[in-house]
Amino acid sequence: MTDLYYILETILLVAAPFVPVAAGVILRRKFPAAAEGAPPPTPGQKAGRLVGNLLLWCGIAGLLFIVIVVLNFKGKI
Amino acid sequence: MRTIKIFLTLFMAAAGAVSAAAAVPWDEDRPEFKFFQEKGHYDEEAWDKLPAEEQDNALKTVKEAALERQAAVRKDYAAASRKWDAQQARYYADALNNRELKAVYLWVGSAEGHELAHKATVVRSMLDKAAAEGIKDSDAQALAPYLTPEAITQLRSMKFAADLAQKQKAGIKAKGPGSQSTAKLDKFAAGAASKMDAGKLSNLYTGSKASGDAAVELSAGALKAGGKLPGSAAPNATAAKTVKYIPPAALDEANKAKSTALTSDAYGVTLETTEGTKTFRKTADADAAIKKLPPGSVKKITFYGHGSPGMQMVGEGSYDSGSAAELLKGKMAKGGVIQFAGCNTASIGGATLNPAVGISMVARRLLYFSLPYFQDRADGVPAAQAKEQWEKGWNADLAQETSMGVKGAIVCGYRTFGLVPGRLPGVTALLGNQEATTPGYVAGKKACYQDGKEVPVP
Repeated sequence: MTDLYYILETILLVAAPFVPVAAGVILRRKFPAAAEGAPPPTPGQKAGRLVGNLLLWCGIAGLLFIVIVVLNFKGKI
Repeated sequence: MRTIKIFLTLFMAAAGAVSAAAAVPWDEDRPEFKFFQEKGHYDEEAWDKLPAEEQDNALKTVKEAALERQAAVRKDYAAASRKWDAQQARYYADALNNRELKAVYLWVGSAEGHELAHKATVVRSMLDKAAAEGIKDSDAQALAPYLTPEAITQLRSMKFAADLAQKQKAGIKAKGPGSQSTAKLDKFAAGAASKMDAGKLSNLYTGSKASGDAAVELSAGALKAGGKLPGSAAPNATAAKTVKYIPPAALDEANKAKSTALTSDAYGVTLETTEGTKTFRKTADADAAIKKLPPGSVKKITFYGHGSPGMQMVGEGSYDSGSAAELLKGKMAKGGVIQFAGCNTASIGGATLNPAVGISMVARRLLYFSLPYFQDRADGVPAAQAKEQWEKGWNADLAQETSMGVKGAIVCGYRTFGLVPGRLPGVTALLGNQEATTPGYVAGKKACYQDGKEVPVP
């Protein structure tokens, strides 16, 4: 039971940094950049895409941070 | 009234007689019964079959020996449960066999016996690992509850020493530790030690490149009158007509203290006293300097290097709360600051809305709890024991613990992984600070304590 609990906890912890990346990708797909000739995006669509971009790139920065932390832990940097 | 007194006296005497003759039940908590078990005199079944009188005799016979044995085992256990130095680690790794551990289980307790057995197993496996492949930061962290920082330092250098000895045995030129600056030292090595003779050694100082190994041909022509021996100057001429002093070329300012290494090897101890600031690369030098200082003279001390929960490393050396407090007790000036500039040298603290701090917390839990916990489980350590050990260790607060040992001083550490831009691969080469002894800017969440209580960062 203890092991199961910790396995679940580990899965959740490992998944956590990917959540903003996934959310960012979903929002960017939902609010794609305006194509040529298409009507201009509404303020809500613009905000949605902006939030998607923020989540995606902050998430990627977070993952890079984890890579650095792991390298530090391994004594590489 | 007199009748009642007589009746009571008779009743008490009868009760005493009955209790003297009554059988004594098997009691595992009494030292006498532990003694019987250890010596194999009786087990519970055999004991119950003994007549009451014999039981009484047996208990009286072993009472003193049992108490002595109990005191001896408890004393040994108290010694073995402290942090071991390198010598003790080797001793106990060999000496703590099943028989010894059984005695601890029996006389001290099963939890204590289990803990000691685990300690011996971890230390034994790390001793083997240290000799075979060297130990990593995570291994040092696993050893922190069991060994003194000095012993961990020694283990960390075991692999290098073993490799060196092997290479010397094989006649391979020894190399220094793998930093750029120490690699340059290899240039002074004039072949294997066995090939170094007095001539070559003197060449090291005179700067002569002549090896003296080439055969000198003494042909008849060369020995004609007025002729010169090959390589010799005119017989009466001095070796040099004028001795000219050529000053060494000035170091290129840009290349001073620069290194082209891609990765950082920065660590050190910076000591700010009333007499000025000094930095040390070796912890032994820093420790010696601190010990010589008068009481109350340290205004600030910064330990810079890799950190982990409960431990600060400085190159090959390391400090835990005990060793840091012992070193600095009485040496700190009023309001003096002890700074552990290493990752995770304070506990994670409370909840946060800062995503970077959150990611650091996640990484700390994964690296210092999940990873070692599952490693222990894979090694067959019981879940409860692995849980207890790592739940205790992953969030250890080195700064707080040290502040309780150095009264009055402000002790700071990092709640997070500290991101030092100057340590990043490539950046360190650009800045040329591969062997910096101070961290410069650190992106991390700092926490400071005074006498165990959190105080604002000074």
